[in-house]
Amino acid sequence: MTASKAASHRQGVTAARRCGESEGASSLSGSISDSISGSISASVGRSSARKIAVMSLLALIAAAAYMLVSVNPKFAAYAFKLRAPKLITILITAFAIGGATVVFQTVINNNIVTPCLLGMNALYTMVHTMIVFFFNTGSVAFANRNVSFAVDLVVMSFASMIIYGWLFKKTKYNVLYVLLVGTVLANFFGSMQSTMVRVMDPNEYDALLVTLVASFSKVNADIITFALALMAVVIFALRKELALLNVITLGKEQAINLGVDYDATIRRLLLGVTIFITIATALVGPISFLGLIIANLSRQLFKTYRHAYLIAGSALFGMIALVAGQTVVEHVFVYSVPVSVFVTVGGGVYFLFLLMRRKAV
Amino acid sequence: MRSDALTKIYDGKTVVDHISFEIPKGKVVSFIGPNGAGKSTVIGMLSRLIARDGGTAEFEGKDVAKWKSGELAKRLAILTQTNNIQMKLTVWELVAFGRFPYSGSHLTERDNQAVRQAIEYMELTDLTDSFIDELSGGQRQRAYIAMVIAQDTEYVLLDEPTNNLDIYHASNMMKIIRRLCDELGKTVILVLHEINYAAFYSDVICAFVDGKIAAFGSVKEVMNPTTLSAIYGVDFEMIEVNGKPLSIYY
Repeated sequence: MTASKAASHRQGVTAARRCGESEGASSLSGSISDSISGSISASVGRSSARKIAVMSLLALIAAAAYMLVSVNPKFAAYAFKLRAPKLITILITAFAIGGATVVFQTVINNNIVTPCLLGMNALYTMVHTMIVFFFNTGSVAFANRNVSFAVDLVVMSFASMIIYGWLFKKTKYNVLYVLLVGTVLANFFGSMQSTMVRVMDPNEYDALLVTLVASFSKVNADIITFALALMAVVIFALRKELALLNVITLGKEQAINLGVDYDATIRRLLLGVTIFITIATALVGPISFLGLIIANLSRQLFKTYRHAYLIAGSALFGMIALVAGQTVVEHVFVYSVPVSVFVTVGGGVYFLFLLMRRKAV
Repeated sequence: MRSDALTKIYDGKTVVDHISFEIPKGKVVSFIGPNGAGKSTVIGMLSRLIARDGGTAEFEGKDVAKWKSGELAKRLAILTQTNNIQMKLTVWELVAFGRFPYSGSHLTERDNQAVRQAIEYMELTDLTDSFIDELSGGQRQRAYIAMVIAQDTEYVLLDEPTNNLDIYHASNMMKIIRRLCDELGKTVILVLHEINYAAFYSDVICAFVDGKIAAFGSVKEVMNPTTLSAIYGVDFEMIEVNGKPLSIYY
């Protein structure tokens, strides 16, 4: 018996034990749901659509607030010109991270994982440091934003495709192994990075550090257009696989039973996730921990397997949180605290909460 | 459905060793045998869940691996024991997934009809809108069978359907399996640990030992003390109930 088979068997046994214990309780909940029978499945679609509408409205309000707060009417055009690219960047980032995390969780069949736990943030930090280390801050690869974005994107895409593609294949998509190796990798990338930093010129390091903190202000129109186009291509290429997400929720064996070409689908979806996270990270820096929060908030709010709602909800949560957060950062803290600090603190607490709650269930 | 020299090797250990058989149509066929004899692996290979290391597994004259997965899903359904769903799913939604091979995610009126019938057939109508994770083990198992019925396949493969069920639910499950064959005309292939269920409810028994077929035949042919002792290494006595052989072992 292989390790993964043993693990899934163990899960099955504990699940069965659990359901054995709750036999009495379930008949009660069964009779309760009887009384509201019929109303649920019809209203699920409608109430989900309503939630999406409310969230879109909130996102719009946040966006309007971001654009309009303390704008001097005389210089409105100038303010908008500064703020619009940042707002669009935030929206793209929220969509990329929110969507990619939901897909990743479904593919891995575990709701407390995020691509960030695989060490993708650490990979970005290392790649970015390497560029400064080998070419210094004056080089085109660092100083020119467009080139820098392209280099980050290309290097990270290749590195993560090779590393994670191999990792997933080798561990047969076993969550525990993937997370364990991911944690080790994150440490490894971190050590490599700090080694390079130690021998670096302090002025170089100073310039580097600014770009290693997630920020929405280093983006321009070219990069936005390119990122949007790339995301559109990925979504188009994966349209068939994305439609299979609901079935993949049922697990590998049920998905195969229902006629899904499982391995190929999973491989392509994970590739898409990698590219999306790479885009978001190359755009704003290491922020993908946010995905854990927004994906789970979306799952809690919608309580459905329908991925159209889950992905839209996750993206909208991300937009609301980031736009509102950035507004606060700019106008209350006057840039003294970057938004990623809130993301990390909030995300960490929420992650602990998810872990504790899972244990209790 | 037939297989020829079917082989599976895990880490250099031959788990299934050149197995050849032909499954008769419209019958309940039980796979029995001690732990690690390769029963579940064979069912996994027949249903394309597990890749094989040698031999052939043919379904309606065409190799299982050559079938389009979506087409095979309309003719053959497999239910294993590793069903842990992370998502909030109602009984209706689960059973509706059985229609996926036909209509994808957009169900037609005919699909809804099939789902409704499957739920009624499994007597789950009262639980239609209950969440799967709130059901008891027996109810959940029935919901999965309803999904298989909605899938409307000629062949149904079940890996230890009575596992983790108490005597009441297990014997009910066996009666349901019998009805799938008798009333709906399906060919059911299942892995069983409880040999008396196999004796009482199936038409054909295939016994595995160490990755090889130790006995294959009608219930009467396989269920005799000599054969069973050779398979399990335990002494058996046989009695007859309702014209069916039952074994006693201790």
